[in-house]
Amino acid sequence: MVVKVLTEGIGEVDLCDIEIYRARGGYEQWRRAVTALGAAGVMDATNRSGLRGRGGAGFPTARKWSFLPANGRPRYLVCNSDEAEPGTFKDRMLLERTPHQVIEGILIGSYAIGSRHSFIYIRGEFAEGYRIFKAALAQARAAGFVGERIFGSDVTVELTVHRGAGAYICGEETALLNSLEGRRGEPRLKPPFPAVKGLYGEPTVVNNVETLAYLPHILRNGPEWFASVGPQRSPGFKVVSVSGHVKRPGNFEVPLGTTLRELLELAGGPLEGRKIVAIQPGGGSSACLFEEHLGLSYDFDTMAAHGTMLGSGAIVFFDDSTDFVKAALALVRFYAHESCGQCTPCREGGHWLEVTLERILHGGGVESDIDMLLAVAHQLTGINLCPLGDSIEPFLASVVKRFEGQFRSYVRTLPVPA
Amino acid sequence: MTTLPKEVTLSIDGLPVTVPEGTLLVEAAKAVQTDIPVYCYHPKLGPAGLCRICLVEIEKTPKLQIACNTVVAEGMVVRTQGPKVEDGRRAVLEFLLLNHPLDCPICDKGGECDLQDYSIAYGQGMSRLAERKELKPKAIDLGPTIVLDDERCIVCQRCSRFDEIVTNERSLVVKDRGQRDVIATATGAPYRSNFSGNVTELCPVGALTSKTYRFRSRPWDLQRTRTTCQQCSVGCALNVDERHGNVLRTMSVPSDDAVSEGWLCDRGRYNVGFYADERRITSPLGRFGDEWVQLSWDDAIELWATRLEEALASAGSASIGVLGGGRLLNEEILLVRHVMRALGIANVDWRTGRQRQASPGARGGTYDDLENAQAIVTLGRPPSQSAPVMDLRIRKAVLRNGARLISIGAHPASSFVPATHLARLSDLAGTLAEVERIAFVWDGIDAALGAEAEAALAKLAAEGKHVSVFVPGETPNARGAEALGLLPAGGALDTRAQLEAARGGTLRILSIFGANPVLHHPAGAAFVREALKRVPFVVATDLFLTETGRLAHLVLPAKAAFEKDGHSFDLTGAVHAVNAAHGAPPDALSDGEVMIALAAHLGIDLPSPRELADWATASPATIANGLGDAALCGSLAPARDGAAGLRLAIAAHPFAGGGTVYFDDRLGELRPRPGLLLSPATAQAAGIGEADLVDLAAGGRVLHDLVATLDGNALEGVVTIVDGLPEAPANDFGEGETVTLGNVRSSRALAGSVV
Amino acid sequence: MSPLRGFASALIALTGGFATTFGMLFKRKPTIEYPSVKKQHAPRFHGLHELRRYADGKERCIGCELCAIACPANAITVIGAENAPGDRRSPGERYAARYEIDELRCIFCGLCEEACPTDAIVLTPRFEMADYRRGSFVYAKDRLLVPPQAGVGTAPDERPNGIPADLGTVAEQKSTVDIATGYDATNRGHILKTERRGLAG
Repeated sequence: MVVKVLTEGIGEVDLCDIEIYRARGGYEQWRRAVTALGAAGVMDATNRSGLRGRGGAGFPTARKWSFLPANGRPRYLVCNSDEAEPGTFKDRMLLERTPHQVIEGILIGSYAIGSRHSFIYIRGEFAEGYRIFKAALAQARAAGFVGERIFGSDVTVELTVHRGAGAYICGEETALLNSLEGRRGEPRLKPPFPAVKGLYGEPTVVNNVETLAYLPHILRNGPEWFASVGPQRSPGFKVVSVSGHVKRPGNFEVPLGTTLRELLELAGGPLEGRKIVAIQPGGGSSACLFEEHLGLSYDFDTMAAHGTMLGSGAIVFFDDSTDFVKAALALVRFYAHESCGQCTPCREGGHWLEVTLERILHGGGVESDIDMLLAVAHQLTGINLCPLGDSIEPFLASVVKRFEGQFRSYVRTLPVPA
Repeated sequence: MTTLPKEVTLSIDGLPVTVPEGTLLVEAAKAVQTDIPVYCYHPKLGPAGLCRICLVEIEKTPKLQIACNTVVAEGMVVRTQGPKVEDGRRAVLEFLLLNHPLDCPICDKGGECDLQDYSIAYGQGMSRLAERKELKPKAIDLGPTIVLDDERCIVCQRCSRFDEIVTNERSLVVKDRGQRDVIATATGAPYRSNFSGNVTELCPVGALTSKTYRFRSRPWDLQRTRTTCQQCSVGCALNVDERHGNVLRTMSVPSDDAVSEGWLCDRGRYNVGFYADERRITSPLGRFGDEWVQLSWDDAIELWATRLEEALASAGSASIGVLGGGRLLNEEILLVRHVMRALGIANVDWRTGRQRQASPGARGGTYDDLENAQAIVTLGRPPSQSAPVMDLRIRKAVLRNGARLISIGAHPASSFVPATHLARLSDLAGTLAEVERIAFVWDGIDAALGAEAEAALAKLAAEGKHVSVFVPGETPNARGAEALGLLPAGGALDTRAQLEAARGGTLRILSIFGANPVLHHPAGAAFVREALKRVPFVVATDLFLTETGRLAHLVLPAKAAFEKDGHSFDLTGAVHAVNAAHGAPPDALSDGEVMIALAAHLGIDLPSPRELADWATASPATIANGLGDAALCGSLAPARDGAAGLRLAIAAHPFAGGGTVYFDDRLGELRPRPGLLLSPATAQAAGIGEADLVDLAAGGRVLHDLVATLDGNALEGVVTIVDGLPEAPANDFGEGETVTLGNVRSSRALAGSVV
Repeated sequence: MSPLRGFASALIALTGGFATTFGMLFKRKPTIEYPSVKKQHAPRFHGLHELRRYADGKERCIGCELCAIACPANAITVIGAENAPGDRRSPGERYAARYEIDELRCIFCGLCEEACPTDAIVLTPRFEMADYRRGSFVYAKDRLLVPPQAGVGTAPDERPNGIPADLGTVAEQKSTVDIATGYDATNRGHILKTERRGLAG
């Protein structure tokens, strides 16, 4: 069942035009938040809605906000729009097609946590999204929704747009903050966490575009409306990017708890004469599920219970024509290339897996290489500074175990010594 | 009274450990002599969490944790050994060694390499990598002092973090990403820093090596002696590594928290080649007319003693002058003073350069005071050049404690940390209202400025503020020379008066101890030369035939600082031991030994060694009555003439000077070229471009062919030149003088003419 | 014992003794007419050292000092230096500017040979080192280094752009090179005899 919350109006009207957006009730919730609800009211509504972060980790948003210390220091809200997870393209759509909804979400979030100056970090490759968002922000500023003394109150929210330079790692919140500060985009050592010491050393919250974009809707329809959809512990809606071997790939907004099979149907089902054999349910960093899992409910907890994750909500379907050695190499190469290189296991291990898979693919592999792949992937996991290094093993290990025959077909069998 | 920090008790490998709250696990483990391996962590740089080698097992935590960023907690149960930990470390080591070249036999770090040591402890014997190791550039010339090997680098970022956290110069960065990442300078320009050598010590592998030490030895060959650096007045502890009678390298002393905090400047670290320079004087030399003759020590001492006796008999002690002492050790200073006093000679002055005063008066502070100051005021020459390691304290105060740095006078504020520049001391009024602890750093040169500062800081102290004062010396033991009495007493002649007496023909003998007034005394080279030529008998002790030595009649080969034992004071007045680290040339004697020989010849009784040691190690007396003390400094008016035009600022430079640096061939690239520094606007007004050749003139004195450097940090209307360069001696000029620039030759035209 | 029996036993003993003597008259003499005749030592005899080269004439020694630290008699002194980029004496960045062995201190144990990562220092079967002065027992590179044409094995490649060779591969090859080329110590003695007659006699 497709719903239209964030995606409402997309493809029908030009939501980049502030007048059209306002005519559909746009910025009304921002006004209501400032003039009626107050920051505590927004915080409370968010808390009751059960909204969990849509960027990948699925952390409850209101709890994340509550970690900010009340120390009188300036606070910052940073909207993470460095969407680079393989298979994910929902934030790009929101930025390009409904930028005002994103701005309104950022404004409400900023107000809730008390950030007087917020930032949005837009992925370097999103040239079009950057242009559209800048134009929309100028409109919002002209309309008096951004800046000082909003709606005649003493509320001030500034919003600065920062364009990245195309590094996947800058989607990690502390790397994003480093990049935003003009430093090398590499994750920071935690603790201290951003909520304590983030942007410019001050308490900072980093939220995903989609997370923030749901805020106006939660205020408009009430937190109970949001909380009533989907499973109790991961309620609400989700824009899911479906791609891979399907007839009609694209973004689909569904209530959480929709089954994977339904999502496959929404995307037009498998290609003619093909059969889905594997599903990567949460972006490149998630482990694969397989055909027997198509009936699973698509939500944070069910995915976690099956050893994978919902992640950023990017589903890639693989059918029986897939060469999983090549697929594994593509993903491993991506992570090896995008490693910032600061910590050892990720820097060296990713590269090692890449060259080993390349060798296997080009016929230079031996049987023991397959066990070595699994061993190396395993030993580089869990000891890294940031989650990037830990993102390599899930997919690789799940497909090597499931499709071991494909991997074995590439390697030479050495004669057993007499 | 500070409250004691709360303590927590935890268990490390079954041993109970009690440490202050907030201690990092890696430090807590040291309390029970447990070695947790680290590469990226460094006690002075803090945790970075990059190398992942310091994995430990903590009970109730599923994954292995890094000890470098884990803060101890009450009741924590930590295991630094066991299969799980060893497995994790083995994995990390396998990754570290994956593309690390096996060129240990070539690598300079071999034998003191953390990667070697931990590979033995935790590594596995072989690599599972079937591919060829990644090749990266080797032997990259990173700058004048450092060579970089990218293949060996394990990207621990200690070097780049040092360059950010400690020096704040931020020229070293990690370039590129993933397996391709390499260390480089941010701009691609050569890595130049006064502290560059520290990165070679920080580097846990052989990626960063010193040019001066490359391939010359192995750590196990070296004889190590701990001593105190005698290159400037900061007094850093120093380990001198010697092999086969050659000083091969100097290393910092990490435990030297009171002074250097384990850092060294490049002058102290790299200026070691001069000991073995063939131009060094190795036997007493007598000059008869234009001819130099080698003398035996007996003949030399007899000659000196005879001349002294003759002069005393014929013209009295007023006809004898003694100069120098700022480079001597305390014991030597005491012996010089003792012998001269015994002869009744009062014309004694250590001040052969611009510095007039070395002691800070009653408000002298410790380096900790400097670090904890909330405002630091520098007067005159920036300490970044004259006392580099002390400047690291200042940077630390600014960067970590948020202290305000204010520079006053003709020199611009530090370009490495946020700082304010004020033209006059009076501009300071009111800006320090909310500050409690203030440090003043005065170069001891401009007495008028010092006196003005004294008035200001006395006022601040009267307001109840904590004021500490620092006077970095021009010479390493200026403080000792002043405190131990190498000063003209009771109306005797100071240096300038002695030189004037010499010109007037009334000075019969001048003894110069390790000083080069021709190059350094502000009376100017021509004036000093003329004076020395008119003295019938000049004795000089030195390592080399300097500008001054060449005018002497008797030159005595001295011992260098690493060849003698004794004590010296640092600029705060703390006493440090100086230990002989290697053998001097057979015929060289320390100035103290020369004094003993002279005393024996003249029949002067000497203090017992015990007495000498007691005096040399006692805390220095408070000599000065505050900064710019008139009794000490005299009424030397600054050369400010008030005329309109460009003003001259004369700066120190760590690698200027006509002595040990000048005679160290390996430091050629570090020595400043004769040049002048000016702001782009000033340069434009004078029609000068970058690298143009310019002549600088004031009152008929000219410095030719100075290379112009434009610096946005320079002050408007000020031309800065470097003091103490034999190629372009600046002592003919006075600080604050009005100068003219002329005979500009464009660098572009010059380049054209070469082609 | 009767005198007769005593005589008889003495005669038997005497005959036995002379039998040995006469028997030896017809055996080959073990004495060799040294120095006109010289004994052939076992190929792995530990005699005088030499420093080897690669076939391209580069010195194998990289001045790493591992022989010096391995030496139980402290007989070896090595001082390293940096190769000039245009004129490399050895592969890699480092070479031995000085390499000296005090043969009077040396106990010919061969540990230097074992420690050497590049097979540079080897012990030859040469044993004639007698001389009149102690100082002449300190062998420096001029007497230790074999002539360029006596080099064996392939030096690791210099890399493009003046990047020195990777010595890691040399160290890895070390254990296999002898087996692969069949190189043995008698060969070394031969080279020395032909190339440096004056020294090897």
